Amino acid sequence: MSEGLVVAVRAIIAFFSLLIFTRLLGKQQISQLNFFDYTLGITIGSIAAELTVDLSSRAWPHWVGLLSWALLGFTMEFITMKWRYAAKYIEGEPTIIIMNGKIMENALRKMKYNVSDIMEQLRNKDVFDLTEVDFAIIESNGQLSVLKKPEYENVTCKDLNINKKKSGISTELIYDGILIEENLKQLNKDKKWLITQLKSQGIKDVSEVFLATLNPGGSLYVDKYKDHIKKILDIGDYKGPY
Amino acid sequence: MRKFLVRAIPVASIILFILIMVSDNYLKHSYSENDNVVKSIELIMNDVNMENWDEANNKIADLNNAWMKIVKRVQFSAERNEINDFDKSVARLRGAILARDKAGAMMELSEAYEHWENLGK
Repeated sequence: MSEGLVVAVRAIIAFFSLLIFTRLLGKQQISQLNFFDYTLGITIGSIAAELTVDLSSRAWPHWVGLLSWALLGFTMEFITMKWRYAAKYIEGEPTIIIMNGKIMENALRKMKYNVSDIMEQLRNKDVFDLTEVDFAIIESNGQLSVLKKPEYENVTCKDLNINKKKSGISTELIYDGILIEENLKQLNKDKKWLITQLKSQGIKDVSEVFLATLNPGGSLYVDKYKDHIKKILDIGDYKGPY
Repeated sequence: MRKFLVRAIPVASIILFILIMVSDNYLKHSYSENDNVVKSIELIMNDVNMENWDEANNKIADLNNAWMKIVKRVQFSAERNEINDFDKSVARLRGAILARDKAGAMMELSEAYEHWENLGK
């Protein structure tokens, strides 16, 4: 009996089970996770690790544990999605801690936050002066949302009555020297058009291009393998091993 | 077709994983002539009861061979402690038979049978 082989097989089972279960649990971004989701993730990961290497017990009970936690997580997600009352109870709700520029001391106490925590989170939001803040809300995932007073808000194109073209999302036309014809068709362009565009930038063949993208506004971005930049700017602040 | 594969692949994988993990309860049974652990234990028990020590000693090799075949099949699903304990029981049984210790041999045979029973539980 080879322990290594058994661990390898168990690792495959744990890895793909975890992959399937986490896909079932949804696509919440890490930043959107609340504390419970975070601990749920850690626990499920820990059970998967035990399933892999704990040969003193059968794989089956570990796997049932993994499945149970995933199912409970899924049930909680389903309940919070369908029933707002339960969602407020389970996930908590946003709390206003600065209102009309005034700090809500009771809310702070209730959330177990102190002023330095708030100042730190405000600085993370590029706010260094409390007088700039109109509203600040601690979201249920612990992140701080800030609404600045109107006089401290950034000026937008709308404020200046400037019409700006939509930039849209650019689409890849060439990646790693290979033409993506599907995307070209989607944008109602053909190979001939692309080659003409490349020639106008002094590129003879598609294989010279690392990445080419086109945005809905019609501007083409091209990056060649040969960038002709001899000295690359070093932004490191300390001389390391590289 | 694509949607079918998106669902079928995870479902098929989960079913395969479950089959691998619970297979020990089925794979520990005999499927050929020389992989019958229970039969080997019973034969040795008879020999020990009748104090046919040489016969019993010869049959330990058969028991060991049968056990090795079972271990290869159940190793991915069975508990390693149970497998190790069975090995230890067989080793002690060998010693008891060499010492012609009837009580000790019966105890080890009984324990080995219990470990075999516990596989897949």
